[in-house]
Amino acid sequence: MPIFDQGYQHWDGPLSSQRFRWLPITRHGVVVGLRNRWIRWGMLGAAGPPLLLVIFLIVWGLFEQKSSFLTPFLMFFRDLPEEVKAGPKGYRTTIWTLAFRQFFDIQLFFPMLLVLLVGPDLISQDLRFNAMPLYLSRPVRRFEYFLGKLGVIGTYLAAVTALPVVVAFALGIAFSLDPAVFRDTARVLLGSLTYSAIVMVSAGLLMLAFSSLSKNSRYVGALWLGFWSISSVSSAVLQNTVGADWCPLVSYTANLNRMRDALLDAGTAWDRMASLGEAGRREVTSRMGLGPHRPRRGPLRRIFGPRPERPPSPVDDINGPSGERPRNRSPWTPPDFPWQWSAGVLAGLAVFSVLILTTRVRGLDRLR
Amino acid sequence: MLIELENVSKTYGKVQALRGLSVALPQGAIGLLGPNGAGKTTMIRTLLGLIVVDSGGGSILGMDIRSRRLAIRQAVGFVPEDECLFPGMNGIASAAYAGELVGMGPRDALRRAHEVLDYVGLGEARYRRTDSYSTGMKQRLKIASALVHDPKLLILDEPTNGMDPAGRDDVLRLAVDLARNKGMSLLFSSHLLPDVEAVCEHVMVLGRGRLLVQGRIAELERPHQDEFEVRIKGDPVVFAARLEAIGVTARPADDGLLVTIPPGRSNRLLWETARNTGEQIRALRPRRSTLEEVFLSALEEDR
Repeated sequence: MPIFDQGYQHWDGPLSSQRFRWLPITRHGVVVGLRNRWIRWGMLGAAGPPLLLVIFLIVWGLFEQKSSFLTPFLMFFRDLPEEVKAGPKGYRTTIWTLAFRQFFDIQLFFPMLLVLLVGPDLISQDLRFNAMPLYLSRPVRRFEYFLGKLGVIGTYLAAVTALPVVVAFALGIAFSLDPAVFRDTARVLLGSLTYSAIVMVSAGLLMLAFSSLSKNSRYVGALWLGFWSISSVSSAVLQNTVGADWCPLVSYTANLNRMRDALLDAGTAWDRMASLGEAGRREVTSRMGLGPHRPRRGPLRRIFGPRPERPPSPVDDINGPSGERPRNRSPWTPPDFPWQWSAGVLAGLAVFSVLILTTRVRGLDRLR
Repeated sequence: MLIELENVSKTYGKVQALRGLSVALPQGAIGLLGPNGAGKTTMIRTLLGLIVVDSGGGSILGMDIRSRRLAIRQAVGFVPEDECLFPGMNGIASAAYAGELVGMGPRDALRRAHEVLDYVGLGEARYRRTDSYSTGMKQRLKIASALVHDPKLLILDEPTNGMDPAGRDDVLRLAVDLARNKGMSLLFSSHLLPDVEAVCEHVMVLGRGRLLVQGRIAELERPHQDEFEVRIKGDPVVFAARLEAIGVTARPADDGLLVTIPPGRSNRLLWETARNTGEQIRALRPRRSTLEEVFLSALEEDR
């Protein structure tokens, strides 16, 4: 085989600073991931919920302006409470909060799926092909190696969480034509982005830790799938059997959901909508003569006597005698346990992941 | 100086890998020799700033090994001993990725990767997945990946281990070309003395974490005053018998004889014997120590 065909040319081009040494690792991982058609399909599927969110925010923006464009669709707004119809801008924050909360409720499936598709190869294949000496003998520290790998997962997760949030937010503002909308909904944006960051870091670190446990990426994938599904199933079983406040903590996704609700303050938003709904229900039943305070008059009263008190409705049962709505009764409302518990669980998992990573991926000082 | 170490010590638990190692190595191709456990790998890792030494210090390419570790790794190319690959890549992507990790821009890295793959003879295999490469190709890919940013110093750790003769020859020719024609300094760690001899001008021998011998190979391979390599025109067996008869030790070596003159006598004895026996001496030169002898005697003295 001919060798030295073209000789050796010296090179004296610029080298980048140390600060972004993790970037090539991330860039390479993202490019490699995009070659996987399953990941591309996953990304495509993840575009569905953001599309619905964008449509909803656009429609709401037009509704706020009482745009004539919505005239053919007014029937969809018929059942809204009068207060909302009269002054939709006053409910902007609540509606946006619930919209983003519901978006994340559906969308969380896709980050979990993408982590499953993207993550298993990241470290396990490097261990299998003994690539660590190639990384660490270059000006790349272990921390930068981890950061680069985390960046791969983070990029994909950002593409299906943070990016849709920003796009939806921008379009929502654009269609509201009201400068105040940014002020009213800034918390929703900040909460959503913070939640996206929590999902990226938490799921990313966990997957990297799993990926470092085996040189076979199929085992890593199975581990993630098991962790994701078994923790959720176990939590559901425990809630039905034990029923204690801590039971949701067993589920990884329930902890993420709890953080989401805390960051978006979804409980307050839902309470406000629920109280509106309750008021509307009472108004309707009252108008139809079904309310408890409307007395019978005329011949009916003479024949049947005064109207008896209605038995408490199931909703009243749930609300309790004080009228205060217990939060763990509806799938919409956050459970009772404090968000700090979930934050503690997620932080513990992150610390555990870092410990696994530092143990399994050793520096060259201890490699053969 | 290319490399300067001053009183460097490193301990792993109870094992002292480097014991007050002090060495100053000039630019050029340097062979790093030593038996297993001599501290060669620890020394390489010290130079690359991959381990923190217990005491002592030094510099490589003028950069302090304690404070400028990353800068050293950016300026130095390293070819690890073990088989290692970036997974799931072809040759060109692998070499370009190596360049990006050192800090090259993606475009520069790609262009340069093409050049170095051509240089190491992997031009036609550049788009093949690297996990399908032979051992020799993987070794050349490692060298290409280490060369991609044109380092001032290339450290090769056992580069010919496990290679077939043809592949080994390719790697040695490559190393020789880099050192002699391209002006690149090499630190060539190997167990194979002929490989070091073929590539290097300088050599250092480590034993139990200490420097045993260091110097130019040409100077270490000193001529012996009482041993000669003799090539004659006639029958060497007959000539050897004649020499033995007058007290000169003679034994066959290559295409001639290796003779040892008794103390107090000179090589005139050989000329006289040839004249007396009617033989013709075609070549007569003092025997030089081989690198192997230098190596073994250094280890012997260390014991």
